[in-house]
Amino acid sequence: MTDANPTGPPVIAGQVSESAPPAAESRTKTAGPMVVEVTNAASRGSAKEPLAGRRTVTIDPVTRIEGHARVFLDLADDGSLISAGLVVNELRGFERILVGMEADRMPLITARICGVCPSAHHLAASKAIEAAAGVTPPPAAKLLRELLYMGHYIHSHSLSLFVLQGPDLILGLDADPAIRNVVGVVEAAPEVAKKALRLRTLGQKINEMVGGRGVHPVTSLAGGIAFRLDEEKKRILTDWVEEALALGPELIGVARDKLLQQVEAHPELLRDWVVPAWNMGTVNDGKASLYDGTLRVMDEVGTVRDEFQAADYDRHLVESVLDWSYMKPVHYRETGSGEERLYRVGALARINCVDSMGTPVADQLLAGFRRDFGRPAHQVVLHAYARIIELIYAVERAREILADPRIDGETRAEVRFTGGRGVAHVEAPRGTLIHDYRIDERGIITSANLIVATQQNYACINQSITQAAMSHVIGRADDGLLNAIEFAIRCYDPCLSCATHALGQMPLEVLVRQAGQPVRSVRREV
Amino acid sequence: MSEGDAGRSLVLCVGNDLVADDAAGCHVYERLQDSVLPPGTRVELLGLGGLSVLDHLDGEENLVLVDAVSLGAPVGTVHVLAWDDLPCVYATPVSLHGIGLREAIEVGKRLTPEAMPHRVLLVGIEGRCFDLVGRPPTPEVAAAIGPAADEVIRCLRQLNGGDIPGARTSRPQAEQRTPSTGKAQGAP
Repeated sequence: MTDANPTGPPVIAGQVSESAPPAAESRTKTAGPMVVEVTNAASRGSAKEPLAGRRTVTIDPVTRIEGHARVFLDLADDGSLISAGLVVNELRGFERILVGMEADRMPLITARICGVCPSAHHLAASKAIEAAAGVTPPPAAKLLRELLYMGHYIHSHSLSLFVLQGPDLILGLDADPAIRNVVGVVEAAPEVAKKALRLRTLGQKINEMVGGRGVHPVTSLAGGIAFRLDEEKKRILTDWVEEALALGPELIGVARDKLLQQVEAHPELLRDWVVPAWNMGTVNDGKASLYDGTLRVMDEVGTVRDEFQAADYDRHLVESVLDWSYMKPVHYRETGSGEERLYRVGALARINCVDSMGTPVADQLLAGFRRDFGRPAHQVVLHAYARIIELIYAVERAREILADPRIDGETRAEVRFTGGRGVAHVEAPRGTLIHDYRIDERGIITSANLIVATQQNYACINQSITQAAMSHVIGRADDGLLNAIEFAIRCYDPCLSCATHALGQMPLEVLVRQAGQPVRSVRREV
Repeated sequence: MSEGDAGRSLVLCVGNDLVADDAAGCHVYERLQDSVLPPGTRVELLGLGGLSVLDHLDGEENLVLVDAVSLGAPVGTVHVLAWDDLPCVYATPVSLHGIGLREAIEVGKRLTPEAMPHRVLLVGIEGRCFDLVGRPPTPEVAAAIGPAADEVIRCLRQLNGGDIPGARTSRPQAEQRTPSTGKAQGAP
């Protein structure tokens, strides 16, 4: 993989340039600030012209998502859409550097993949190496890890709802791009913004106090967690959780109202932006569980089709390779028929899968959600609503954990590696995260595979891009509406930094596309 | 800000030490640990920039950000940019969901003005490789760590003396050509 290309000219939002279609140069790298580019592949034209005739439109890279990515829409002569997709350009080689390292470094190293889901990697790695060693951490360690994780969720979902989607929700999908950013949100609704960012900070503080460090936590390790909670810290954490609980209702009300206002202003969001996919999320006795549990799979009409342990993921989840993107999409392989199904992960999938949230306010919100939108819901715009429910769940669950007397117990168990494989998962804010390691008898990693949320959502994201293009871009004169495509992608809150990684241990399918169409596929069984 | 806060400075080093040139801020942070800094200086390491910067601000007079940048100058160039010279879309290569430091500061000015520094400088190290995990910095960036740390100390001394350092660039010895793009070459 080559280096980033920092020497290219800066690309200005809305700028029109002549270049080859992105599908043909999908491995070209782009570095630098977040920009939007409109490329006319076939003829010189203006972004203000209706998008007709064969041309390719790229949005490059997509703003307000982590990592770098590019979307392409390939249009036919009559202006109809030939193909659309998200092209991910980054290859960061993360899994390869893990091989040869000591297994007990995994929680620290993987937490530093990127700054978006560090706690998810920190905990998934801890659990996976414990699985390899055959060790179960003490109850207090599990509770402290979950508390750390609730802090991370409060931080991450607040950020997603109020900062990343905030400009769309509070200022509107068709707001002037010049002000449709976080600063615009602050100016339009300073009090809401102040409280929302305070909620984000409280989550981060909880994450930091339990995790030992701000962005990248360090306390979880093989066998448990590296400290015991003293009374002073418990008091401070309780104060923060109570403050978060006090902020919750108003912010949740604002977020929900703003979302519903956008849905009302743009009825196509509920009508056309529908991806009838299967859902996968973690449950514990049917209730929501973000740190631990079994993976439940629900089909598109709401029937629970499977429930399995993360250790069996490679019997159910099939990774494939595209020639036009570094992202490796994952499908669910149906038991028996072997058919591969499109599925989603993340907040909406989890909300669909669970029987209940298990905390009072979140369950009230879930009941309202199901009354209005049914179960399962397939409208991608409702990912934000699902995040609202999970945000209050995380705060309520944090309070429960702090009140649990088992949190005061022993936090470490002895760990010794004798060689073997360890697989474990957590529900990252963006969806199921699986870590899979093979470890030799000296405790050294011999192979690593990470399945991250965004690659599981990738096929759904590409469908949503197509739907957004059909409803908001094709035949429209206003290039400002291209934001609709970005909005559709942001509904999934994708993080791409860790979604492109070395070839793993799963069955692989190589899909060859020509002129936007698949012409050949090659499958490799491992 | 109270009188006792006068002269307090925060140096925030931003970077991911696993990722080649993106680790520049981390290496400067390490270098500063062994350096004699003006009294009242706090140095912190931040995995990423973005809104998390706001969590670290405590009403300091001065903020010096240290980060890898991609402004089009020769690799290894050390930029010193005053706040007004920061590119408006300045974001670290691995930014927090595209929320750049500039946006973060603008948010802070509006929501928590009491915590915001009066003067902000960026000491930026021009990098080239931002996508390879597990690689050391490129030789040009590695060679720029010492000069960047020296530049931070020089900035702190000037700030403590009441001066506002002007924008400047220190290009790597091997390549003294003018940067083709970016504001690095411009005076404030």
